[in-house]
Amino acid sequence: MSCRDRTGEFLSACKVLQTRQINGAIQRPSHPLKQRSEFTQIAKRIGRDLANTFTKLEKLTILAKRKSLFDDKPVEIQELTYIIKQDIASLNKQIAQLQQFVQHHKQQNGKHLQTHSNTVVVSLQSKLANMSNDFKGVLEVRTENLKHQKSRREQFSQSNAMSMHPSTVGSREKSVLFEDEATYGGASGGGDFVMNMDGSSKHQQQQQLIDQQDTYIEDRANTMQSIESTIVELGSIFSQLAHMVKDQEEMVQRIDTNVEDTEMNIEAAHGEILKYFQSVTSNRCLIDQPPKIRNTLRFLYKIQKIDASCYRFSYIPSRSGPKRERQTMGNNEEDCDT
Amino acid sequence: MASIREKQVLALKRMLNFNTPPTKSSSAEPQWKVLVYDRFGQDIISPLLTVKELRELGVTLHLNLHSDRDSIPDVPAIYFVLPTDDNIRRICQDIQNQLYDSYYMNFISAISRQKLEDIAQTAIQCNCVQQVSKVFDQYLNFISLEEDMFTLRNLDKELSYYEINKGDVKDTEMEQIMDTIVDSLFSVFVTLGTVPIIRCPRGNAAEMVAEKLDKKLRENLRDARNSFFTTDNIQAGQFSFQRPLLVLLDRNLDLATMLHHTWTYQALAHDVFNLLLNRVEIEESIEVKGPAGNMMIKKKKKSYDLNPSDRFWEKEKGSPFPQVAEAVQEQLETYKTHEDEIKKMKSAMGLEGDDEVAFSMMNDTTAKLTSTVSSLPELLEMKRLIDMHTNIATAMLEHIKHRKLDVYFEMEEKMMSKALLDKSLMDIISDPDLGTPEDKVRIFIIALICGPPMSDAEIDQYCVALTGANCEVAPISFIRRWRAYNKMNAAPSQYGGGGTTTVGMFNKLMNKSSQFLMEGVKNLVIKRHNLPATRIVDGLMESKTLQEIEDYRYFDPKLLRSDSSSVPRNKSPFQEAYVFMIGGGNYIEYQNLIDYAKSKSSSSAGQKRIVYGCSQLVNASRFLEQLGHLGQEM
Repeated sequence: MSCRDRTGEFLSACKVLQTRQINGAIQRPSHPLKQRSEFTQIAKRIGRDLANTFTKLEKLTILAKRKSLFDDKPVEIQELTYIIKQDIASLNKQIAQLQQFVQHHKQQNGKHLQTHSNTVVVSLQSKLANMSNDFKGVLEVRTENLKHQKSRREQFSQSNAMSMHPSTVGSREKSVLFEDEATYGGASGGGDFVMNMDGSSKHQQQQQLIDQQDTYIEDRANTMQSIESTIVELGSIFSQLAHMVKDQEEMVQRIDTNVEDTEMNIEAAHGEILKYFQSVTSNRCLIDQPPKIRNTLRFLYKIQKIDASCYRFSYIPSRSGPKRERQTMGNNEEDCDT
Repeated sequence: MASIREKQVLALKRMLNFNTPPTKSSSAEPQWKVLVYDRFGQDIISPLLTVKELRELGVTLHLNLHSDRDSIPDVPAIYFVLPTDDNIRRICQDIQNQLYDSYYMNFISAISRQKLEDIAQTAIQCNCVQQVSKVFDQYLNFISLEEDMFTLRNLDKELSYYEINKGDVKDTEMEQIMDTIVDSLFSVFVTLGTVPIIRCPRGNAAEMVAEKLDKKLRENLRDARNSFFTTDNIQAGQFSFQRPLLVLLDRNLDLATMLHHTWTYQALAHDVFNLLLNRVEIEESIEVKGPAGNMMIKKKKKSYDLNPSDRFWEKEKGSPFPQVAEAVQEQLETYKTHEDEIKKMKSAMGLEGDDEVAFSMMNDTTAKLTSTVSSLPELLEMKRLIDMHTNIATAMLEHIKHRKLDVYFEMEEKMMSKALLDKSLMDIISDPDLGTPEDKVRIFIIALICGPPMSDAEIDQYCVALTGANCEVAPISFIRRWRAYNKMNAAPSQYGGGGTTTVGMFNKLMNKSSQFLMEGVKNLVIKRHNLPATRIVDGLMESKTLQEIEDYRYFDPKLLRSDSSSVPRNKSPFQEAYVFMIGGGNYIEYQNLIDYAKSKSSSSAGQKRIVYGCSQLVNASRFLEQLGHLGQEM
């Protein structure tokens, strides 16, 4: 630790001063514990929810990354996925509400408070975006794992399935486009079926028919799913693109790219010039060096114009009221000189 | 081992996390806060953390202490300021006005008891002692610009060469300057968590600083309860038996380097564009359509950040300029190939729909597209960096051509290595096409310091010529006095074994018809040589017997009794050295030291690390200005 905590020293100093003061000065009434604003409360809640969802996501990541064929917990993963999906959706809605809230109270708040709330909203949004991205990544990993598992299962159970139901796999009508998925589905479906039908040979014929339909439906569902996931993928790509544009903007900034510096400097310069102007007007050199004064006046006039155009200095015109008077006075003198 | 920059970043992050060690950022609940800094705090933070990084740390607003700030009632504020009277007053005002929910005070250097009580007083008056949540001394009183470089002040007048060397400096002023330097150096070593062995020359500012620093470190070490250097403050794994060496040097040791024209990328950026806090500002002329339809050339200032995270910059900042231009060209080409690949993919994907190839690709296109899209930001970042370096290099080249900096560089290198000049100094001074008046003064001063001795009459003659070429001669009068004074105690011939070789210009770069038209600019390759500072550091690190360093003083704050004997007890060579230049430094010296360290690490066993620090980073024109002031005051 390269820093030193002096909070204790500060508090003890406070105590000492307080005891010294008790018989002396009147204390101001203590401020009531301030009610936190609605905005902060909502933002805090969203932040907490985000953190919670993050921990859930971490759990899911651990589960999804497991490669083992037997220790797979599909139910849990399914549940978690569902919960996270719900969470993300609700968080998204909440953030949107928060944004509206900010927009709503635009007029009441000061400039800084406004930027503060905007930044809060933006950072919440980006956090959420990051999280959905992670979520997507986890799901992809999961799909990849599932595929892997299927192919392995297929390897071990294929011969069995093929010998039992050559017709099931072969005769079915298949879409050309999704051929490979269909074979996957068919093969594994067959495998399952083998397990199921142990012992009951009576209804074999019937079940085979049903199974044929089942696998077909399963295939359909699978292909649908893959299409769906592709679409989702594409959607996320576009949202990512949108984000990228915005990220680029912020990435380059440093804190000293600040207009405020300039603002302060201009203000200081303005004050200095005013001082100079006052000393000049009260001086005898007014008579001695008219051209110099005239230049100064011209300069001051210019500055005033800048002031007027600068919306940030809304309070300056009131200050420059008397200055303008002096200005006209100066102009008169100029006239006299010429 | 973590570098000085990393350690400072870490300290800042801890501070922004309300002075608790930062946890993993994603799973923690975000806490919003406002960061309030003064000018100096801003200088410290800005080269280290970007706005984006601050956002990630939960900083929603970053404001200057002395600007008009609106009240944000339910947000905690983190203050990062120097404990000056002005700042304290302003903080008290904030407390009075109830600007924020709670206040986390972080002072860049230690705050005095008196000032602490001032704040306490205000807090009691407003009855908001509870709201002042934490008060910390951060000991971060320095600006780290590179992994191995730091400086103390950005642009303040207070630590300049002029302030230290001016004739009418008062004892109290000098005392104050020294205290500031000592305080900062103390901060550096507190941040690093090591106690150095200090070496310094006798009889100048460096000795004063060394004595004070030794005392300060000693006091802190004796105070067992509050010491920063006890073993439990040093994290495990970072503990090493090797102690670093701190070499304190005075600028008067070597003025020529400060005025030297240079040929390496970073130093050129500093010399030509005044690289400030890792940021350059370049004036670009852009052709803009005027209102009447005619083309107008508009000058626009653009600023670029040169971060250590920029790999190209990290690699090339120490390279000579022509090599940099070549490297930029290469980068551009690799980028173009990347871009072409993407374009190819685009055409294969959708635009020519009936293409057989496109159809067969359909299976894995989405996967491919995803990977491409995720690689896009990287590519964009790469493009931004290449653009930046192209612009900088182009602008630099323009300056080099315009001022004939290559000629100056070659001449000066020859002077420093006492080689034969192929052009007389007078010719350069009287040639109106050759460089700015400032360049002429610079080369003349270098000739005066390093060249063959000149008689007074000769110097006067040159001065007349210089005045004829619109040159300011005030710096020269100071240098004359400085030389007369310095002759007594030091032999001037310290610049050994330098020189350059000119390589044929028609190299790879030209063949490729690059956009860098290097015509008329010599392709100079620098021979390695050591500047005076580097020679001294070499002598001290290796415990060599050098005449220059024989009477250097030796301080070891860890020894119980301070004896004034300057006999080094430790004869083994040092692995790590901190070189600190009092009175200003520049990138030439930095680069020279780093090159030295690199060559040492590669040749012999054991890594050598050198960190360069200076009270102020000044480029030649600013330094010349200071010399001019000194000359005028004589």
